Amino acid sequence: MTIHYVTAFLFAFLATVAFGILFQGPKRILWLSGIIGGLGWIVFIVLKDALSIRSFSANFLATVVVALISEIFARIWKEPVSVFEIPAIIPLVPGLGMYQGMRYILNDYANFGSEALMGAALDACSIALGIMMVSGILRALKTGRDIARQRDWERPYHRVCM
Amino acid sequence: MPQERNELNVKRNQTEPSALPGLSPMSKNQVMDLAMDLGKFLLKSGAETSRVEDTMMRFCRSYGYYDLNVFCTPTVIILGDESPVGKSRVFRVRWRSTDLGLIMDVNRFSYNFRQWNMTYEEAKHWLQERLALSHPYGDPVLCVAAGIGSACFCMLLGGDLYDFTGAFLTGFLAMACLKMMNNFHPTPFWENFIAGLIIGVVTQVCHLVQPECTVENMAVGALMPFLPGLAFTTGVRDYMAGDLLSGNSRIAEAALFALSIAIGLAFAMKAWTWGGLP
Repeated sequence: MTIHYVTAFLFAFLATVAFGILFQGPKRILWLSGIIGGLGWIVFIVLKDALSIRSFSANFLATVVVALISEIFARIWKEPVSVFEIPAIIPLVPGLGMYQGMRYILNDYANFGSEALMGAALDACSIALGIMMVSGILRALKTGRDIARQRDWERPYHRVCM
Repeated sequence: MPQERNELNVKRNQTEPSALPGLSPMSKNQVMDLAMDLGKFLLKSGAETSRVEDTMMRFCRSYGYYDLNVFCTPTVIILGDESPVGKSRVFRVRWRSTDLGLIMDVNRFSYNFRQWNMTYEEAKHWLQERLALSHPYGDPVLCVAAGIGSACFCMLLGGDLYDFTGAFLTGFLAMACLKMMNNFHPTPFWENFIAGLIIGVVTQVCHLVQPECTVENMAVGALMPFLPGLAFTTGVRDYMAGDLLSGNSRIAEAALFALSIAIGLAFAMKAWTWGGLP
């Protein structure tokens, strides 16, 4: 069982690093985004297989974990969040559902196909929701600080104009 | 009244721009030029619209030009001047690619230019030098990376060694064909359509040659490098930042790309059955 999770982490890590290279990420952040992607995938399969939670919620929670860790890493390494987040989200993208839905529709099983496509669309929505929640909350916190800083910036200007 | 005079000056906003302490002053044209360069680099390497606007506004404001405004969508950057005698600049972005390294370095520049305190020529030189280093990985590396990404994703979905090899081959060939086709400047729709077509054909051939390969695992793995994960993520982040226009267009872009891959793949599979092949 543990071996299963270790190999899953390894493959998710490798896949994320490969996608980081595809997005032209520099070498010093590739392994970090790989770790985030692996952790996100582990959370996803633990929730989905071991705890048998539905795919929507599992995707949502895994995305929240990925986004939170990327925000933390971005604060530590002083890099933009999206650099860590974009490759790490990729393993969660519901490619299988999209493929299956398309395959069913091609073979004239339109009802199975629409079900699978709808599931894939819901998974994509849950990923969007996860990113939105984390980035929205953290952006709200950051914007408050930014406004304060902007006032600091304006002060010397007023002083000169007087 | 001294206070009234102060307010008047602030409203006109163009008396004497004052840079932040520690920054050597620059003329408005130079600041606009550098800000435009920053915006171009960011937008062309796939950053969110809010990041582009934020970086450019910060740069302009820290040199004391509070009357410069930025409007940015995924296809255009407008840097305008509020004052009646001002000039404005427009840059139209037609081809966007992805370069996370360039985004990171421009971000570093926008956080540190106050400490570095460069002159106009130095900053321009720094940016040009960085642009020359963009896209560090060549086409062969990208093809191998696409292959490895496909293969690993195929293993995540529960493939075996046959699927691993087949998915590697499929992803590698699809990316290689895309890179070979790059000289003809295909539109993104056709690019993704052909990627889907090649994935469909190669997976079916793999299945024909070695029946242990599952078409489903290989095709899903090989689709992954071409799915628009980047456009989707940036679109959602744009929505959250309040840029509804660019959020809409990015999500539409993502949907169009996904649809074009699906059409290509479906076309390949349907044509395969028309030919009477298994």
